[in-house]
Amino acid sequence: MLEVNSLSTGYGHTRILDRIELTVREHQLVVLTGPNGHGKTTLLRAISGLTPVWEGEVSFLDQRIDRARARVIVSRGLVHVPQGDLLFQDMTVEQNLLMGAFVKEAWRRRDERLARVYELFPRLKERRHQQCRTLSGGERRMAGLGRGLMGPARLLMIDEPALGLAPVLVQQLYSTLGEIARSEATILLVEETLSNAEQIADWVYVMENGRIVLEGTVPQVSSHEAMRSAYLGGEVE
Amino acid sequence: MDTFIQALISGLIMGSVYAVMTMGLTLVYGCLRTLNMAQGLFGVAGGYVAWFIVSQAGLPSWLGIIGAALAGALLGVVTFYLAVRPLLGRKDVDFEMLAYITTLVVSIMLTSAFTLIFGARNKGIPPLLEGSLKITSTVSVTWHLVLVAMLALLILGALSLFLNRARYGLSIMAVAQQMDAARLNGVSVQSVYIGVMALAGVLGGMAGVLLAPLYFISPTAGDLPLLKGLIIAIFAGLGSIRGTIYAALILGLFEALAATYISSMWSLPLLFVLIVAVMLIRPNGLFGKPEEERL
Repeated sequence: MLEVNSLSTGYGHTRILDRIELTVREHQLVVLTGPNGHGKTTLLRAISGLTPVWEGEVSFLDQRIDRARARVIVSRGLVHVPQGDLLFQDMTVEQNLLMGAFVKEAWRRRDERLARVYELFPRLKERRHQQCRTLSGGERRMAGLGRGLMGPARLLMIDEPALGLAPVLVQQLYSTLGEIARSEATILLVEETLSNAEQIADWVYVMENGRIVLEGTVPQVSSHEAMRSAYLGGEVE
Repeated sequence: MDTFIQALISGLIMGSVYAVMTMGLTLVYGCLRTLNMAQGLFGVAGGYVAWFIVSQAGLPSWLGIIGAALAGALLGVVTFYLAVRPLLGRKDVDFEMLAYITTLVVSIMLTSAFTLIFGARNKGIPPLLEGSLKITSTVSVTWHLVLVAMLALLILGALSLFLNRARYGLSIMAVAQQMDAARLNGVSVQSVYIGVMALAGVLGGMAGVLLAPLYFISPTAGDLPLLKGLIIAIFAGLGSIRGTIYAALILGLFEALAATYISSMWSLPLLFVLIVAVMLIRPNGLFGKPEEERL
């Protein structure tokens, strides 16, 4: 569904990502993990068209998107839920959700999508006329995810949805993500703490210093990481 | 008592027109972080077009209003391509400051163009409606002002519905509040910029028609309204839509009361005193928020 071939990019003259190879197959939940500040967010930004790609190719549903604009990419069904929610602070919850359906095709089905999002997150329905600035951390995360689900998503890229949430909320959130992955869309999830997502991940990529250093199923990656920490003294959660 | 009520009424009516006029500045600042110094000239253009349609061609005044709105929209888009577009996405450029200067240049060019086309002499257009409405034996409001108030409320109401409900209106607020998220939702930021400049032109042009029968139209007639608009926008908190309406009404009232009880000569200087006092207490204006960094 999504194929990243030898992608490099960065900011200014600083190279952040070095020849990334990554594949997401339809109906999978793929987790991209690794320490903070090593390029995971940059990779999502490059794929969704916010950051220009320097070299390499990105294909989505067999079409090249590495030179496409962000709005073209989202209208093809690749939806990016950014880190830190980036909500429209002075708009209501419902207005934020409606913006998620900005793409014409999604706008036509906005009522149906809105009902589905409220079904997944009943709390958002209670808060729908409230400004986003007044929401709690957990509610903000729901609003961010809900906005992503309003779009025409065939593939959802979600960046650190657990960041800053209480552990009990993290569990809830990940079971909802599991449900979304089964019923709504394929998911590429960025998550620093692999253990949060190990129940639901089908495939895992590990990124360090802007390169993919390891990939595999959860048991494969965990055993490899454990071995590395034992022999090389690397860090493991 | 009657003079007070009279001042109150005319203050609120003028305030509602100021709100229409300033909303153009507010929307453009919200999306583009630019003080559009050409906003006053959108009003002048609207005034001239209405003068031509109503006074010269003798056509009905509603055509004058539509013509003014269209002329404003056209000038808004032209200003975008002349003054804003060339600066977008440039590295190592202080966009906010440069765009302020380039829009000022556009306004000077437009002033000269209007002088060449229409001459420097004042042009008047008749009130949209004749006569006046008697409220009590001593308090009366001209029908023109009643119509102005109603049109201003209609424009503001329509604008509020558009911004809060319509797909395109929501995207304008989205770009103003979180540009990256708006792009991720599929918004073309460039077309929002163009749309918002056209909208500012429409609002300016309509405000121009509403104000023209009260004053005269001349190439520099936009200077004072622009100055008041800037005061209102800063008073409101730059970019705040709700704040703009409150600030415009407060300033309209303040001006009318100062003119009634002190002297109309003092109303502008007193406005400056007021704005300085507000800035000292609330540096971000009534509804302004400290600027968040944009990517």
